[in-house]
Amino acid sequence: MSAPLVEAEGLTCHFRSTALFRRGPTVRAVSGVDIAVSRGEAVGLVGESGSGKSTVGRLLLGLLKPTAGSVRFDGCDLATLATAELRLLRRRMQLVFQDPYSSLDPRRRVGAQIADGLAIHDLVPASERPRRVAALLDQVGLPAAYAERYPHEFSGGQRQRIGIARALATEPDFLVADEPVSALDVSIQAQVLALLAELRPRLGLAMLFISHDLPAVRHLCDRVVVMYLGRVMEEGPADAVFASPQHPYTVALLSAAPSLDPTRRRTRILLRGEPPSPINPPSGCVFRTRCPFAISACADGVPPLRPAGRTGQRKACIRDDIDVSAMPSAVVDSV
Amino acid sequence: MNRRLAVSLSGVGLILLLALAAPILPIHDPLQMAIGQRLAPPSETYWLGQDEFGRDVLARLIWGARASLFVAAVSAGVALCIGTALGVLGGFMRGFVEVLTMRSMDVVLCFPPILLALLIVTLLGPGIGTLILVLSVLFLPGFVRVAYAGVLSVRSNEYVEAQRVLGASRGRIMLRTILPNIAGPLLVQLSLAVAAAIVLESGLSFLGLGVVPPAPSWGVMIRAARAVMDRAPLLLLFPCIALTLTIFAMNALCDALRDSFDPHARTPRARARRVADLLAPGLLPPPRTAQAGEAVLDVRGLTVEIETPGGSIQPVQDVSVSVAAGETLAIVGESGSGKSLTGLAAMGLLPSAARVAGGAVLFEGTDLARAEEATLRALRGGPMAMIFQDPMSSLNPVHRVGRQIAEAIRAHQTASWGEAHRQAVMLLAKVGIPDAARRARSFPYELSGGMQQRVMIAMAVANGPRLLIADEPTTALDVTIQAQVLQLLADLKRESGLAMIFITHSLPVVAEIADRVAVMYAGQIVEEGRVVDVFSRPLHPYTEALIASAPAEDGPPPTGIPGTVPPPNALPSGCRFAPRCGYRIPACEAAPPALMTPEPGRATRCIRWAER
Repeated sequence: MSAPLVEAEGLTCHFRSTALFRRGPTVRAVSGVDIAVSRGEAVGLVGESGSGKSTVGRLLLGLLKPTAGSVRFDGCDLATLATAELRLLRRRMQLVFQDPYSSLDPRRRVGAQIADGLAIHDLVPASERPRRVAALLDQVGLPAAYAERYPHEFSGGQRQRIGIARALATEPDFLVADEPVSALDVSIQAQVLALLAELRPRLGLAMLFISHDLPAVRHLCDRVVVMYLGRVMEEGPADAVFASPQHPYTVALLSAAPSLDPTRRRTRILLRGEPPSPINPPSGCVFRTRCPFAISACADGVPPLRPAGRTGQRKACIRDDIDVSAMPSAVVDSV
Repeated sequence: MNRRLAVSLSGVGLILLLALAAPILPIHDPLQMAIGQRLAPPSETYWLGQDEFGRDVLARLIWGARASLFVAAVSAGVALCIGTALGVLGGFMRGFVEVLTMRSMDVVLCFPPILLALLIVTLLGPGIGTLILVLSVLFLPGFVRVAYAGVLSVRSNEYVEAQRVLGASRGRIMLRTILPNIAGPLLVQLSLAVAAAIVLESGLSFLGLGVVPPAPSWGVMIRAARAVMDRAPLLLLFPCIALTLTIFAMNALCDALRDSFDPHARTPRARARRVADLLAPGLLPPPRTAQAGEAVLDVRGLTVEIETPGGSIQPVQDVSVSVAAGETLAIVGESGSGKSLTGLAAMGLLPSAARVAGGAVLFEGTDLARAEEATLRALRGGPMAMIFQDPMSSLNPVHRVGRQIAEAIRAHQTASWGEAHRQAVMLLAKVGIPDAARRARSFPYELSGGMQQRVMIAMAVANGPRLLIADEPTTALDVTIQAQVLQLLADLKRESGLAMIFITHSLPVVAEIADRVAVMYAGQIVEEGRVVDVFSRPLHPYTEALIASAPAEDGPPPTGIPGTVPPPNALPSGCRFAPRCGYRIPACEAAPPALMTPEPGRATRCIRWAER
């Protein structure tokens, strides 16, 4: 495989809330994450709320500065760039937001908002922009006449298409999609997912698809990275991770998603308790407080990511002597 | 342009025009004295009479408007420009700039306004220039604070971050994105400032600190009139009326401007519930069949109507569902399908703009659609309970959760606070909250979303309900927590045998928890049946498409449904799903299909069901 387009090493991001006279607690949003996205590759970043997945997306785009670690985009370290250079680079990396309502400016026509990227980077002369906006709207399946309307005249799905058109306007190489469908209705979700699945290979986009919807990730992505409480638990080819998960957390996460088939109300693995606070994460393996396989050694050190299984995955778990498919489980039925 | 804007604009325009045109108007010289006719009442030549020096009051009023309005407009304008710039910079740049701008404004606010005015006037001497300086400084903090607060709320929106992502410079973001979005409150502030400036100008001139006599200004006029109040009260009245009208016109104009700049403002206003419905709920058309069945809740032909300016719409139309004890009915649909309104109508909790226009909601034989509010109150939280999607906004943030549950118990049972609190702790333990006694003393914000939802469930089951309506109870939760809450609900139902209505948009959750499912689309039920039957062999194309839309862990990638749900004021004349349906034939669009019963316990609203 060629060198990755985006590559992050040891990415760490801690937020400290600062009041005037005292230091607030430190939120360890992301700790020691390595992640890489190659040209034309779709990587799924999966995790629950508080896992730090959105933070990773913003770190890769240089919207947040990492506390430690580095992000390289096409060979150049984002930390070494001046603000103006980073702004120029923004043409090549874009973000699709989760909330289609707050991500569009309510007071400007959508055509002008789609053309913003073209205007900022002076890519297309002003006289050509309406034609380019029309082509972009067409690309996301909307009529060109919509350019003259305001965001509140559109449904959630249409707004998300507009958001995608805005992100694609500068012809980026790298797209971060941060939960792009979780605010949409089911039938509209599938439309937007299908649009992303169709556009990505055609435009040769590298994509980081951030989601908590595991089946959607499976259909859209080549590789999957599973995060929990700011750390990577498991990563590997999408098919392999879904077919034979290696880390206990991945197993539990897959099992928790309800199935569409009512005859298969299966035995399900119920994790005890709730994720700990990222202000005070457990020592060693962050998952150990909810892991049914935890032993005292799990508290000793942060487990490194290492190869596991025969299908090219890597997991951050010190135990090889366990059968994750035999996790303690509970039966859910409603009869 | 709307009427309000036109009227207020012409009002302010007229006042401005009068003031501007003063030199060319055929009026007397405002400084021309006629001591012989001092304090003369209104006459043909002097319409508003003459003042204590015999000068024409009308002329002084119009010339005075020039001074008052000029001072007010310039000082408010200066304060607007500088204040907005400082506020936007402080709010957007944060850090040192923020401290500098906001704290310096706090210093200005510390001075009493009159003291500040006196100080500046003493230093510079009275006059129009001084007056403008004083007023600008006085109004500056207001604008800075309004702009600053606006920036703080706007900058958290993702469209501001979207501009950063696009590579926009800070200047561009501040000018093109933030400024238009804080313009509304700034305009309101401007209207207040102009009005206050006119008053303050009059006040300062009245004190002799502003416009210097004999030049006319409203404040100078009021000051002069005060001395002769007992002999010529009208002299005091005229400048006061001018002042009031001007301020009124200014405020109306700024309100209208703010509304016309806001593209959202053209939304219809909700109309209150019809008086007749409140006075005589029995006037509703009678239900089709009046006797109660075995069901705990039996909804028959429920139609909910909302009056809008464009006519009345029916977001729920002819919905019939029933749920028996120990049964879980799922109502599934997308946004706009009417599923939540159905649930609210069943609890008698419809928003005030909506009303039940037909049908019956029978809870153990009592028709809730016609019941008195007192009857409903006795039922709600007692025999029937509801859980909402967002536990954070359903719990009272200022009371401890144990107290809130105890309160729910005491609303329906005679129990002492101590007894109710003991029960509350037991309930918290029952819904799986560890260390329940300590958690009962927590405030809602101290609990995670999953814990909050457990508290809501504990509160809902506190009085042993026979019916539980859950509206998207797990949508806001993470998938591992959702699994826990679904398990808890299933356990509760099995133990107590309550009837449950589970409103959701998620088909996998339906498959997980429900016995029967009713699929809603655009206000109607389009299919109903046992979950196993409906999922294995859907009899309506919408159900089929919805199942195909949900990504499965194996199988083909999801396919969406083209188009969107039609809004309730533009429904297709025939089958409501026809425009998005792949099986559409001309007959589908000819007439609305009825709900058919292809086999016992199943219903579909598709005329082509037999062909599947």
